[in-house]
Amino acid sequence: MSEPIIDIRGLQNFLGDQWVHTEVNLSVNPGEIVAIIGGSGSGKTTILRCILMLLKPTAGQIKLFGEDIGALEAHEAELLCQRWGVLFQHSALFSGMTVLENIMFPMKELAHLTPSFRRELALLKLILVGLPVHSARKLPSELSGGMQRRAAAARAIAMDPELLFLDEPTSGLDPVSAKQFDDLVLFLRRALNLTIVIVSHDIDSLKRIADRVAFVGDGKILAIDPIDKLMKNEHPLIMDYFSNR
Amino acid sequence: MSDNTAALTSSDESQVSYAEFNFNEQEHAYVCVGNWSILSIGPLTESITETFQPPKNQQIRVLGHKLEAFDSAGALLLLQFIDALKTNRNQVVLEQFSDAQTELFELVQSKESGLKKLPESPELTRQKEDFLEFLGRETIEKTHQFDGLILLVGDLTDKIFRAFTQWKRFQIPSIISNINNTGLKALPIIALLSFLIGVVLAYQMGLQLETYGANQFIAYLCGMAIFREFGPLITAIIVAGRTSSSFTAQIGSMKLNEEIDALTTMGLSPTELLVLPKVIGLTLVLPLVVFWADIFGLMGSMIMSNFMLDIGYQEFLLRLQTDVGRDQFMLGLYKAPAFSILIALVGCFQGFQVKAHADSIGSQTTKSVVQALFLIIVADATYSIIYSWMDL
Repeated sequence: MSEPIIDIRGLQNFLGDQWVHTEVNLSVNPGEIVAIIGGSGSGKTTILRCILMLLKPTAGQIKLFGEDIGALEAHEAELLCQRWGVLFQHSALFSGMTVLENIMFPMKELAHLTPSFRRELALLKLILVGLPVHSARKLPSELSGGMQRRAAAARAIAMDPELLFLDEPTSGLDPVSAKQFDDLVLFLRRALNLTIVIVSHDIDSLKRIADRVAFVGDGKILAIDPIDKLMKNEHPLIMDYFSNR
Repeated sequence: MSDNTAALTSSDESQVSYAEFNFNEQEHAYVCVGNWSILSIGPLTESITETFQPPKNQQIRVLGHKLEAFDSAGALLLLQFIDALKTNRNQVVLEQFSDAQTELFELVQSKESGLKKLPESPELTRQKEDFLEFLGRETIEKTHQFDGLILLVGDLTDKIFRAFTQWKRFQIPSIISNINNTGLKALPIIALLSFLIGVVLAYQMGLQLETYGANQFIAYLCGMAIFREFGPLITAIIVAGRTSSSFTAQIGSMKLNEEIDALTTMGLSPTELLVLPKVIGLTLVLPLVVFWADIFGLMGSMIMSNFMLDIGYQEFLLRLQTDVGRDQFMLGLYKAPAFSILIALVGCFQGFQVKAHADSIGSQTTKSVVQALFLIIVADATYSIIYSWMDL
């Protein structure tokens, strides 16, 4: 198997006045959909923030595309950022711009495309995520929650990333929208050859899309398995997590 | 055909990666070369509209075996090249693309019809509006805004009268916190600025008085100016800048966060909980702050007079008492409640006008400060007119 896209070794985090992570090891292979789950406050999002270089870990090594992100120069880190897309929990669309401008924004800032090509490419992404064309001129506040999530997904794939991070993509969506969003994730992986990391609580959604699920608890990854196998795991924290659902 | 060999060659020196769409005469085919991904196809997207000259009525093959990377931006570009070839009635065949590349291209091709559907930007039509239309729109908007302000005043009045029947409704802790934030914390800056204004005032007047040998009138002039105009006005302007903007930002972000809606659904009144304590707190504290500004303004002129005109402190104060007196001092203080109500109301009102996007808080805060300053000066002028009618 080829080199993993994400490789986390011995990640430790000390936040506030407690150890959030004592020993996190995780690797994600190209083309995989890996989900990170765990109880509230177990540090799922913290792992994600460490990978995204939004938070400097207390100790440990994170390799992305084979490069140690702790040892990167500023401009190397910027280049790395162009290879991933992030969908934030609350969409984080720029509220002063229309949906189309939101999608075009990273293209405008990072790539050198003609305006008409940029516009067409942004529209393509909009159609790929299943939004109607006329929503392009709307402001994010004029869209429903599910549509905002889709628009944010379109912005996340604007630069054709190799790696996509989704932070609770289906939380707050109704079951139908959640299922449609899952289909979208699977479709995008197939169409754009993406590797996807999801932080989620939604077991139904994980059953549909995740290849492997990493369970975070006690400051480490307790198990990383396909969801069916994970649900049979006898660790008390994992059993407790699934028994409530 | 010969003039069209190597139809397009473009590479970006600044980047290692490059993308080319070359014509190969031997194979009679276009070859896609290099890195057809979003970061490197920039030059090609320019050339497709400018220098690309497709042949006519030919059987043309497009080869993909030299591609190093191919993403959806590359697929869209390829589609545009092929469309350009097809409009010149060429037969186009894709060859030697990998399965994944073909699949991606077909996916983009299947969505192509949707790409042309977006109508032209509505901004273009909006530019055509003429001055009268603009005037009408602004008038209606401003009228609606004024309506909103009157509604707020009405609501506030209602809440105040209700609060008199039930003391708990006055939100004493909130009022005290507002007094602290809007009054006490502004004292140092107000003291400094009033002091400096006092110095400047005494200096400017002193220059003239000295030439006439009328030094002792400095106390009268400075006292009148500071008590009646400068004290209240300086205070109101500083407080408008500090407080009205913070009221707007606070209520505005609460509105964005749906906290205002949360209050309403609990059956509580945002006016009572947010606006009332601010108006009352500011109205209670502003006269005191004006008094504070008067003290420091006079102190400034006293010190300046002593240095420049040899008017002793005792003489200055004695003159102040006999020539200016308590009445003039009170005339300045009477302005404070009007200013405070204007500042608080405008600040809160603009806060409620915040719409659901990030720019909105900024623009409403600006509006709130500008309108508060405008209204303060209008109110001050109104006071002057009234005082002159009453021969005060």
